[in-house]
Amino acid sequence: MAPDAPASCEVICSGLAKRFGATEVVAPLDLTFAAGQTTALVGPSGCGKSTVLRMIAGLETPSLGQITIAGAPPDKILRRAGLSMAFQDPSLLPWRSVHSNIALAQKLARQPVDRAAIEELIALVGLQGFGDTRPAALSGGMRQRAAIARAMITKPALLLLDEPFGAVDELTRKQLAEDLPRLWEARDTTTLLVTHSVSEAVMLSDRVIVFSARPARVVADIEVALERPRFAGLVTDPDFIALKDAVSAALAEGMASLRPLAAQ
Amino acid sequence: MFKAAPLCVLLGLAVFFLLWELSARALDGAFILVGPVEVLRYLFENQTLMARALWVTLQNAALGFVYGNLAAVLLALIAILAPRSERVVSGLALLMFCLPLVATGPILRVLFGPGQGPQITLSALAVYYTTYVPLLVGLRAAPATWFDLVRSYGRQRWSELVHVRTMACLPYFFAGLQIAAPAAFLGAMVGEFTGAERGMGVLTVRAIRALDVDASWAIATLAAGVSIAAYVGIGWVARLCTSAPPPVILASTAASAGRAGGWPDRVLTPVLIAAIALVVWWAAMTVFDLNGFFAKRPWDVWAALVLDADAAETRAALTTALAETARYAVPGYLAGLAAGVGLAAVIVLLPGAALVAMPICIALRSIPIVTTAPLGVLLLGRGSAGTITLVAVMVFFPTLVACLQGMRQAPGQIVDVLRSYAASPLARLVHVQLPTMLPAFFAAARMSVPAAVLAVTVVEWLATGRGIGALMALSASLSDYNMLWSAVVCVAVLSVMLYGIVSVIEGWVLSVFAPEQATR
Repeated sequence: MAPDAPASCEVICSGLAKRFGATEVVAPLDLTFAAGQTTALVGPSGCGKSTVLRMIAGLETPSLGQITIAGAPPDKILRRAGLSMAFQDPSLLPWRSVHSNIALAQKLARQPVDRAAIEELIALVGLQGFGDTRPAALSGGMRQRAAIARAMITKPALLLLDEPFGAVDELTRKQLAEDLPRLWEARDTTTLLVTHSVSEAVMLSDRVIVFSARPARVVADIEVALERPRFAGLVTDPDFIALKDAVSAALAEGMASLRPLAAQ
Repeated sequence: MFKAAPLCVLLGLAVFFLLWELSARALDGAFILVGPVEVLRYLFENQTLMARALWVTLQNAALGFVYGNLAAVLLALIAILAPRSERVVSGLALLMFCLPLVATGPILRVLFGPGQGPQITLSALAVYYTTYVPLLVGLRAAPATWFDLVRSYGRQRWSELVHVRTMACLPYFFAGLQIAAPAAFLGAMVGEFTGAERGMGVLTVRAIRALDVDASWAIATLAAGVSIAAYVGIGWVARLCTSAPPPVILASTAASAGRAGGWPDRVLTPVLIAAIALVVWWAAMTVFDLNGFFAKRPWDVWAALVLDADAAETRAALTTALAETARYAVPGYLAGLAAGVGLAAVIVLLPGAALVAMPICIALRSIPIVTTAPLGVLLLGRGSAGTITLVAVMVFFPTLVACLQGMRQAPGQIVDVLRSYAASPLARLVHVQLPTMLPAFFAAARMSVPAAVLAVTVVEWLATGRGIGALMALSASLSDYNMLWSAVVCVAVLSVMLYGIVSVIEGWVLSVFAPEQATR
């Protein structure tokens, strides 16, 4: 964990809403994300779940309501470098090697560059031997894994993942889903994950929040009480399947709010 | 960008030199065209003189290049670190760039006295804007998520600048430097026209006065050669330092207008720019305690144009001269734009032609056309045809290169969709490539406004003896500084207004034909 970062990192959104001009993207939301928990946010495309994440990261200003992270406004945790975000796009700087891109996060977070820790993370995300490679020479999935390693290197108290596995191939995706939670669980990291994959949401998280179509409203808040560590074989477990069905049903309910529009 | 096999370049150059030599021999005795063999002979026979002049001009150009580019970097940093100031900074930079070199030259000569001051200043003035514009585009060229990454660690503009913008802008910066190098040489030569003791500009003026055709061609060829060498050299350094050349180096104004506020901003910004320009003008004259006889203050120009007894005559003289200049500048400008787009379209339709034509066009773009103006007058005479052609040539090359770069921005997948319907190359051109080219075309059209004004005034000054360029030259030689300063103000304000009109047309056309590019 970052040296100055708060140990426990509860995130509270009260009356959080966002409008872009006349478009209401997020309807007023009241949500609390418990410290050390992993929460998946799922919902139809364009429903505003990424906007919620960006507001928590301080990248968008809420139109209404407020956010507190570890009892303080978001900019405080930002200044203490206790937050990391992985984006839909890997956003690696093309003139830096994989190693140097990961090291950049430590520099931005005002942490000393820890070469050994970087090498360890590079190996963990399956990029051994590619530390000196520039992003242009990597596949889309490899770039995304480098971006995940970059988000993890600062040992954040709050980790925001915006569809980070979107461009990753199925095999790597499964492997990452097994390996990564161990990292953030060991560090008691509060993790918020936006994803389109229902099974990924259930596999990775302690809680799944399902949003409606835009403007985002909470349709369901489902607890995932499956034991950890979780392995790929879990997908055939009846409890897992039941949870997956529950999330899918809630998603369908959320999508239903789109139908009258489609019928017009 | 445009990779051509060295063989094609050599072939193109060989054809070029052969045609040049054959034309010269065909016109032997007419005393207008000198072939490459004669040029080489002249350069060899006068090598000491030429080398000394070239060395002096190169020194002036190099210092101007350094100062001008430092100014460009400073302006761009202010605009990026204090985004609210950008419109005012850019407006002031444009206004300074629109000052006619042929009038600022004599004024600087009086202010500096003998020496290299005016040459270096004019060289810096010719350079800073051509670097500032692409640099500003480059500093913004990074994807939004790179900035999100920096800000997600609680860092602000300075970190964005250090970790993202500095490296992201390098290709654009080098592209700007590439254009700036020949411009610096041009500025130094124009500075030398105004009464320097040594340099290529001095030799040019001497050759024109003595009707020495051989010398005129030799000097122009040497100037062109040095400019091309600087252009190619910086391109080579750029390839060593950066991974790829930038896709386009000029962005639409609509993009920056989109970031600005509503109508109050649009009204207040020009007022603020004018106010700052007037204060800086007055302050510069006062701080350096310059003699009021030749260093006119804003109210002197106001008096000369409005209050004085002979104000009406001054206005009439200016209006007549400006109208005469417009008769050459406007057709030349439009012809240059049309020819640039036309040839770009032909090159895209006949891809083989690009291999030979592009290296030559890029090389010719790097020649400061103004330094070859005396040749144009020799070839085409002192009438309207010569002036219009020179203005057109000045506009043509940047437009052609910008349009070709713009057309290459056509999304591959959309071109593939048309291909899958077996659409002809002409259909691809009309439906995809021409609309994609529009932002680059308008950017070139805007930047060509001051270039066209520079070309027309230099030709009028050096050769034709007509229009506002000649009026400025005459006023300078008669020490009529009221008229000279009034002409400078009128030309600068008119250039900025024409630039503004092109921007308005640009905004309108892009909002209809390329809305996603107008708001990018």
